[in-house]
Amino acid sequence: MDGRASAPTVPPLRQSCQLTDRTHRAATSPRTRRRARKTAAAVESPAAELSASPAALGAALRGDFPILHQTVNGRPLVYLDNGATSQKPEVVLHALDEYNRRYNSNVHRGVHYLAAKATTAYEEARDKVARLVNARSGREVVFTRNATEGINLVAQSWGNLHLRPGDEVLVSVAEHHSNLVPWQLACQRTGATLRHVPLTPDTQELDMQAFKQMLSSKTKVVALVAVSNMLGCILDTSYVAEEAHRVGARLLLDCCQSVPNMPVDVQAMGADWIVASAHKMSDVLEAMPPFMGGGEMIEHVGLDVSTYAPPPSRFEPGTPPIAEAIGMGAAAEYLGGLGLQAVRAYEEDIGRYLYERLSAVPGVTVYGPPPSRGRAALCSFNVKGLHATDVSTLLDHAGVAVRSGHHCTQPLHAYLGINASARASPYIYNTEEEIDTFIIELEESISFFRDA
Amino acid sequence: MRLVGTNVCSTGWRALLPHVTAGPLQANARCLHAPFARHSRGGAAWRENTRSQASMMVAPSEVELPTELNKIVTLFKAVPDPKLKYQQLLSYANKLPPLPAEEHTEDNKVRGCVSQVWVVPEVREGKVYWRADSDSALTKGLAALLGLAALLVQGLSGCAAEQIARLSPEWITTMGLSQSLTPSRNNGFLNMFMLMQKKALALLVDAGAQAAPASTESGGDAARTSAGNGAAAPAEASTSGPAGGGGGGGGESRTPVRDSMVRKLAERLRPERLEVVDESAQHAGHVGARETDSPSGETHFRVALVSPEFEGLPTIKRHRLVYQALAEELAGPVHALSLDTKAPSDVAKG
Repeated sequence: MDGRASAPTVPPLRQSCQLTDRTHRAATSPRTRRRARKTAAAVESPAAELSASPAALGAALRGDFPILHQTVNGRPLVYLDNGATSQKPEVVLHALDEYNRRYNSNVHRGVHYLAAKATTAYEEARDKVARLVNARSGREVVFTRNATEGINLVAQSWGNLHLRPGDEVLVSVAEHHSNLVPWQLACQRTGATLRHVPLTPDTQELDMQAFKQMLSSKTKVVALVAVSNMLGCILDTSYVAEEAHRVGARLLLDCCQSVPNMPVDVQAMGADWIVASAHKMSDVLEAMPPFMGGGEMIEHVGLDVSTYAPPPSRFEPGTPPIAEAIGMGAAAEYLGGLGLQAVRAYEEDIGRYLYERLSAVPGVTVYGPPPSRGRAALCSFNVKGLHATDVSTLLDHAGVAVRSGHHCTQPLHAYLGINASARASPYIYNTEEEIDTFIIELEESISFFRDA
Repeated sequence: MRLVGTNVCSTGWRALLPHVTAGPLQANARCLHAPFARHSRGGAAWRENTRSQASMMVAPSEVELPTELNKIVTLFKAVPDPKLKYQQLLSYANKLPPLPAEEHTEDNKVRGCVSQVWVVPEVREGKVYWRADSDSALTKGLAALLGLAALLVQGLSGCAAEQIARLSPEWITTMGLSQSLTPSRNNGFLNMFMLMQKKALALLVDAGAQAAPASTESGGDAARTSAGNGAAAPAEASTSGPAGGGGGGGGESRTPVRDSMVRKLAERLRPERLEVVDESAQHAGHVGARETDSPSGETHFRVALVSPEFEGLPTIKRHRLVYQALAEELAGPVHALSLDTKAPSDVAKG
């Protein structure tokens, strides 16, 4: 067990932010206030949100995550790489295990007991995910292998049909490779032009003025990252949706760093597709031709030609990742139980703490906007004169797990004039003590290289 | 790397054999695509293919490490605190001679590293010394360590090129520096090692070519046929050094790889019949026919020979002799050999 959790000092969060959406927004940046109201079919009732008090996050959650209780190189694990992947709580592990032990079976076309049970669980997971993001129904949720596949699906299935020479696809310089390369390929195939929204020079966020200027009647699709995995900046999605639709463009939002971290209301967001660890939605699906062909996604198959199932099945060929989807459903429920508002509030506080402590270390540069502008909890940084990989290697030996490299954002690093960066990304089970440990070990690592 | 002439020792480059002989050796006439690609070193496919040839392999653990290098490895292993290991690594980095910015070129750069690493060898008194630089201090330390290891093995008996060819990086994993340093396919560290090895060998080949006088080599059509040539070639080659040196002709030969193969096979196996046919055109566009690997475009060959050296040997061992003779070419531009190996008694029979 993690000895450090014995006397948790989770920072007191603003209780008022629990009460209503509006109050929460009042405590944050003006930009987030423009986000639309949650509908009645929200993640859970306001009463349930009130009971998920913020103090229940952080140290109190660590018991739910078995993987956190281990030592690395003789030191307690301090896992700060949630931007790459977060850990699975016991309920999710249990769901996966139950499936494999009790009712593993192929879904959808079996009549027998196990197949029926697996199908029910799989479709229920779809509904759970839909509830998490306030989609109108599970029919708007397509399970893919990963978000990358999801974006490729849209870029090909929709892109091939709708993009012509002279059309423009608008992305940004900060995109993850998964929201960049598929559009590069689509433009190469169709003759469309790829354009990139730059960053604001002072706050390192996506430049909304430049975005507005770059939009035109030629823009057919806008694909932007909702929360940057490197900069931590948060997109004003309402504004982007409004402006994109005004010029008649479709909007895809990469929500991989937002769905697990803050309330995401897809109906309010106004995007045509969102991608988040295997999840997408919208009417647009109905009009999209298949991406990959095979079993399950068909209605009738002839020797030469076939007809296709309606979405979401149309986009789920072959045996799906059944256990993973069921696990995802359990995870969606778990997060819903905590309350995504509470998650966001916790991340804002621990993120601010991390940002402030990191910025105070001499020689450290933290990328992205300051917390006052609104940002994710993650912090990408560099130490002057040291390579990110050297720093993270030393940190690893103290049991602190951070990521180093280009975080699948090579163009962004080139834009910022750097080769690599290190990134610490806390989540709901990280504590202030762990941030303290990270900072201490970072300072130690810096001295090590300076004195060597 | 132009293989116009080499100072390869007569013992051959044994360490390259695991890569050379791996692959299906069933039929003589079969085009062999042994996993010469660097990334397959140590891979599962290699191990599977070499199951039946275990006796021929030089296992990495059997490769002799010089005492000095063994001492370094043992020292690192003995130190329990990783920080102390890194401190030692950094002290090696600090001892590296500096590499100015002008030499931070693409040609000197290691691919696939998260950090930027440049390595430049130079030959002094027949040995290869290293300069290197990196924006990562630990990686610079690794480069220094590899360079030092390469220098130390050159002190062993045998020629520098052979020792460098034999060097493999497995001992690094025992030093306990970090799990990220385990040699694996996409590993920047392995790429660094292989680039250093390749650059060192290329440098030694060039140095050897410059040292030996250019001699006239009767390549081309004359080598296609008869015994006469087999007897004549060694006599010619031996005038210029232990394993022959010089160019493939008075001027620049357009078939330097073939020339070199003919010469070596003639010397080593004294064949009664020797046929070396360039079949590269049949493989144009094949992944093995990249221009960078073979500037002359010579990548695929069919070799047929009758040699008394093959008498009494099974096919596999006959092939091994051919590979030993042609180790350098096989490590370089030649991607596949189709072999027909007979002993004089086989010919007499049928």
